[in-house]
Amino acid sequence: MDYSAIFQKYAPLHENLLMILHEVQSAEPRNYIPPEAVQGIAAYLNTTLAAVYGVVGYYSMLSAEPRGRHIIRVCTSPVCRMNGSFDLLQALQEQLGLALGETSRDGLFSLESSECLGNCHFPPSLMVDEKLYSSVNRESLAAIIDRVQTREEAPRG
Amino acid sequence: MAKSKTPSNINSTAPQEAPVLIALQNAGKIDPANLSEYEQAGGFEALRQALQHPPEKIFQEVIDSGLQGRGGAGFPTGVKEKLTEESLCEACGPKYVVCNADEGEPGTFKDRAIMERDPHKVLEGLIISAYAIGAAQAYIYIRGEYTESIRRIRRAMQNCYDAGYLGGNILDSPFSLEVYIRLGAGSYLCGEELTLLESLEGKRGYPRIKPPFPAQHGLFGAPTLINNVETFAHIPYVVRNGAQVYRRLGMEDSPGTKVFTVSGDVQHPGIYEVELGITLRQLLETHCGGVRSGHRFKAALIGGAAGSLVSEALLDVPMGYQSLKSQGAVLGSGAVIIFDETRDLGEPLQSVMEFFRHESCGKCIPCRIGTVLLEQMAEKLASRPAGSRGELLNEMTREAEYMDRTSLCPLGKSPILSLGSAQRFFGAEF
Amino acid sequence: MNQTVTIQIDGSPLQAEAGANLLAAALEAGIDIPHLCYHPKLSPTGACRLCMVKIEGQKGLVMSCAVAIEEGQQVTTRDEEIEDARRQTLEYLLAEQNEEYDGTYRDELRELVLRYGLEDPARRRYPKLTGLVNRHFDDSSPVLSFDGSKCIKCFRCIKACGEVQGKHVLSFNDRGIGSYIIAGLGHWSGSECDGCGECIQLCPTGAIVEKLHRDEIDLSAGQAATSDPPALHKVRTTCPYCGVGCQIELFVQNGRILRANGVEGIPPNYGRLCIKGRFGYDYVHSTDRLTAPLIKRNGRHEEASWDEALELIARRFNEIRAAHGPDALAGYASAKCTNEDTYLFQKFIRIAFGTNNLDYCTRLCHASTVTAMLKALGSGAGSNSIEDFAKAECLFITGNNIIETHPVTATFAKNGKEKGHKIIVCDPRWTPMVRYADVWLQQRLGTDVALLNGLTQLLIEGGYVDKAFIRERVEGGLDSFAALQQQVAAYTPERTAEITGVPAEKLRKAAQLYGGAETAMVVTGMGMSQSTSGTNNVYALINMMLTAGQVGREHCGIDPPRGQNNVQGVTDVGCSPIAYPGYIPVGNKENRRKLADLWQVPFEDLPAEKGLTTIEIAQAAGRGEVKGMFIMGENPMITDPDLNHTRKALENLDFLVVQDIFPTDTTPLADVILPAACFAEKEGTFVNSDRRTVRVRKAVEPPGQARPDYEILLDLAGRMGYDLGSYSGSSDIFDEIARVAPIFSGINYRRIEQQGIQWPCPSSDHPGTPTLFLDAFKTANGKAHLVPVEHIEPSEHQSSDQPFLLNTGRNLYQYHTSTMSRRSPALNEYSNSSYVLMHPKDARQYDLEDGAAVRLFNQRGEITSTIRLHDGVNRGEIFVPFHFRETAVNNLTRAELDPDSKIAPFKLSACGVEKV
Repeated sequence: MDYSAIFQKYAPLHENLLMILHEVQSAEPRNYIPPEAVQGIAAYLNTTLAAVYGVVGYYSMLSAEPRGRHIIRVCTSPVCRMNGSFDLLQALQEQLGLALGETSRDGLFSLESSECLGNCHFPPSLMVDEKLYSSVNRESLAAIIDRVQTREEAPRG
Repeated sequence: MAKSKTPSNINSTAPQEAPVLIALQNAGKIDPANLSEYEQAGGFEALRQALQHPPEKIFQEVIDSGLQGRGGAGFPTGVKEKLTEESLCEACGPKYVVCNADEGEPGTFKDRAIMERDPHKVLEGLIISAYAIGAAQAYIYIRGEYTESIRRIRRAMQNCYDAGYLGGNILDSPFSLEVYIRLGAGSYLCGEELTLLESLEGKRGYPRIKPPFPAQHGLFGAPTLINNVETFAHIPYVVRNGAQVYRRLGMEDSPGTKVFTVSGDVQHPGIYEVELGITLRQLLETHCGGVRSGHRFKAALIGGAAGSLVSEALLDVPMGYQSLKSQGAVLGSGAVIIFDETRDLGEPLQSVMEFFRHESCGKCIPCRIGTVLLEQMAEKLASRPAGSRGELLNEMTREAEYMDRTSLCPLGKSPILSLGSAQRFFGAEF
Repeated sequence: MNQTVTIQIDGSPLQAEAGANLLAAALEAGIDIPHLCYHPKLSPTGACRLCMVKIEGQKGLVMSCAVAIEEGQQVTTRDEEIEDARRQTLEYLLAEQNEEYDGTYRDELRELVLRYGLEDPARRRYPKLTGLVNRHFDDSSPVLSFDGSKCIKCFRCIKACGEVQGKHVLSFNDRGIGSYIIAGLGHWSGSECDGCGECIQLCPTGAIVEKLHRDEIDLSAGQAATSDPPALHKVRTTCPYCGVGCQIELFVQNGRILRANGVEGIPPNYGRLCIKGRFGYDYVHSTDRLTAPLIKRNGRHEEASWDEALELIARRFNEIRAAHGPDALAGYASAKCTNEDTYLFQKFIRIAFGTNNLDYCTRLCHASTVTAMLKALGSGAGSNSIEDFAKAECLFITGNNIIETHPVTATFAKNGKEKGHKIIVCDPRWTPMVRYADVWLQQRLGTDVALLNGLTQLLIEGGYVDKAFIRERVEGGLDSFAALQQQVAAYTPERTAEITGVPAEKLRKAAQLYGGAETAMVVTGMGMSQSTSGTNNVYALINMMLTAGQVGREHCGIDPPRGQNNVQGVTDVGCSPIAYPGYIPVGNKENRRKLADLWQVPFEDLPAEKGLTTIEIAQAAGRGEVKGMFIMGENPMITDPDLNHTRKALENLDFLVVQDIFPTDTTPLADVILPAACFAEKEGTFVNSDRRTVRVRKAVEPPGQARPDYEILLDLAGRMGYDLGSYSGSSDIFDEIARVAPIFSGINYRRIEQQGIQWPCPSSDHPGTPTLFLDAFKTANGKAHLVPVEHIEPSEHQSSDQPFLLNTGRNLYQYHTSTMSRRSPALNEYSNSSYVLMHPKDARQYDLEDGAAVRLFNQRGEITSTIRLHDGVNRGEIFVPFHFRETAVNNLTRAELDPDSKIAPFKLSACGVEKV
């Protein structure tokens, strides 16, 4: 992938690393930072591979491994837990065969847990990619998943 | 039912007297994307006023107001301590203002609410602060998961640039300011101010050694004023109304209002801005409709993971930074999670210990190992029946005490807050 | 300077500087506060939490590594609470550890475990958490391996690599208990790691260890359990590679060197090393070493006894001297040998040969630099200390690939850069320092004078002229400056850009940075000196420096880092056709008389006239005028320009003696080969690039019958009928050097036992001279000279059948002719074959791809090598390293000399390239 359009948006300063990583990851269909990107970013920022790769390894939103095209983040912090986040995880296991940390075989979803999403007044919460869902239950979860799947299939069909 | 509530009807339960709202004054009343609505509500009046005065005057006004940092994480630090003479020195090179919008304390959603509902106010506070200390560059570090907050702040920032509140010669004054948005990427610890600076510099989120403090050696080694979103949202009010008016709000040693985010087993979970000094009982009963129907209050986790687990013994203590401290609790971020009598407190403790293990950066030994040991013990704690685990809780508390004494940053010093308070208030239950 | 204050530690007063680090001050005072993540040369980390103390008036435990000293502090370093907390911290740490210790390294954690009585697992409180630790094991580096199960996550390796070496190759991956050290993209191989091993040296627990020779350590020979490591004994000496003069510790067992570390805490390197210093010692024990004298009989070299060999040599040299006069003899000394060896060599040549035909490799490297500096400044030596590379606010580095050729000096430059200092690099070819540079001026080969004149012009234009300095410190003052000003006026930015290819705005930026800096140093190297205009290049550089007044103050001046370990010393002790020891000119009666007196030889016996230089000697040999030669430790068959001509010249000699530690490309031509001891097998001294006399110490015995050079010389002189003096040892020889060469007067072995001293050191109570020219230049009247010079087009240029200009040089992993370095398998793993750097566009034009085998040719010779594409070389220019004998690039270079210094233009030869 050519990252130059992303790089052009940022001055070649180390402080822009996280922003560049966010954008590269979003641009990558598999939601990760591939090794070539680390090399490209290191060269662009005039820094070392480890200075980039180590940062990818630290932050939980960033991944050095390919993930699904869509990331489901289920909030597992205290309030959502009290209100059924483990049940949502169980439901996802049933509906998609996905355990925490896994990517579905069709490459569509990765399932991750998230720390508090700041939505404790509508528990339990989860995010699919950039969108936050409130007061999710098994039924609404199935609908959310279904919508993503339908959207993915549409262009192909 | 709480779950049917929509974001627009928060604060619908009006308190007895007309409350003074600062951070949430416009929340739900104006279109957050629309700058002129903010202006019509008095927005940017404070900035206009501020620019009429020398920076030192504004700086002094903020100090005099007694405004304390509204961040939390168990270590509230006010602007007063943060600003040193050095940060005002004209000749000592660039200075920075940083807005900490990396809200991540479990149970806390006030910054998100402020940013999403009144983003211009945060920016106005930031701009005034930059003027007060003579900074030409400011950063807003927003939690990566807060996609809506990011959008709203971005939009507001663009509005401000377009209207001349940001950029060169703001409102035709000699003062200029550039603001940059930076996103976090999934690290609770980066909400700690020194770690946030590391992250802003594009590095792994490791805490720095204190001293030096950010006011001397902050972002890129330059003097830096770093404050929480809510703190910045108070600045326009302070400037417009003056320190004395502000001081009339709240408590003597904790002036002003505070946004509490209440969740868990309450009738109306939500976001409530109230004057400091309110008791937990008042907050619950007056604002939140009490504990969910048919149940009794058992405990509240105040301040989030880095907070304390309190019993009804504290229901009538006025909540302020000092008053809670003297009771062995903390105010922290203003998160209040309510547990009714059906809840086993082993569960929130386990959740909190898992959280700290997951978020420990691993830099210092006590926290790196201690959070793992506590997580393992908490798992046992949650699986054992009540009454049989007092010794286990004592053991955990001892480890947490050691971690508190020896850890590098606030994260390792945090487990003692919940464990110590659990032991103190609920020892018998364990 | 901060004021000194008094604090109380455990009830005893301690004087320390206010603001200093409490832990550092305590440790320095011998107060043993436990610590693991702290290291004196790293910034405090605060990770291990063991250095906790109590300070009266402060709440709880505080980490002493994060405390700044203030007057009156009352510090408690141990009481029950503190010790309990430390014990708990260690127990926590042990929960992560597999506690396997193989005894081949120092383990600081183990030492603390023993000290706190925690060695018995049964008495510990916590379960093992080793299952949660990432036991990442990485042995993909040629020189080291990392074992995550031994790592305590102290950050010392990361900071060693970043803060000290300026490389930042290491980081952590993941976080929390699962975090582990990575290089590059997770593996050392493929990372930017260049194998310096600083991380190994600073690792406290053996998580990063060297691969080499660890399995050879005989652990049964162990002594004290906590020494470093137990079974080896250490010898402090000086690195034998480049001119930085790094102080190293050789770890020796059973007569073999098994490890090398940098010596912490003393200049010039403060513990730092490069890959060659740490891993390049294998050659000492190479089975290829010369172990017996060899005499050529019937075209074959046969072993002989020392008596036989030396008698033969004595007879033949005496015969030549008798038949053709002393000047039919000549000698090459070696910059690899000690001051003592080379001092006796020049004494031998001057007395036993009776000639000043005496030179060594300086003629091939810095002769032009020295010629220009001597005339303009009165001294050819670098004006500053190596540490100044971190202190000068601006470094102007020209023609010096400093990261690869002086890697440890370069680390100080990088340290300065991290403090915000500025770096300007001038080089026709990308060098690693470009990564750290604020501006890179990529001039075309052979256009240095134009570039520097253009910059001088811009300094004038930009108002950076230091008139007061010029008035007071430059000969002719503002008048002579006016002449320079007039002369450089023609070098407008536009014209300079046209000649050099460097855009005018870059020139402006460089002039601003250099001229505007509070303090600035110029650093020059082979790129400047090895040119037919080498002397002029350096004059132009000095003109620029004098114009801006960036000399004569601390952290300002000019530094030509020395290539070989003892280039500086060998000139200092007089291995020169024109100078006696201590830069006393030859050809002056008074000087000659003084030396004759000191040496107690008749005045007439010392040769009167200046001698021939290196290449002039070869040329004279070619003409049959020089008939006998003694080469001590040089390898002209690789290093000299136009090798085919050199070969003919050496073959033309009647008698050639080569004394070396290895067979070289020159030894086959020798009539007698003598086996010498190497640096690790003898006592002596070197002088490094910052004029520091440092000790060389014997660590192991020479192989076979090999002997130290100076012993051989004394023996041979005696057999020729000359007495060079009687010495009780190398220390005695040095004392004579100090008597003969005033710059060394105050130096003796006793004074440099702990750390070296920088000359001039006129008396035994003089501390040495870190910076030259502070009060006066070393010229006759103490003033510097401006020498205006013009750009002259090089005589070689691209043509249709020779479309490339060939540049030559070194890389990090090999050293010069690689006689030493290529015998280290570790170094060879990084670089073991020749290559031709070529711009990708040129490659496309000539239909060459990366990896293509090519023939490089011109009228002087040809070599074959392999194309390596690199957009860091100019179009129409190529670069080939000269390390590889099978691709001896000097087959292509020419012996057209710089008229002033007689240096050869190794950096510019026209040649053609074709696919093979």
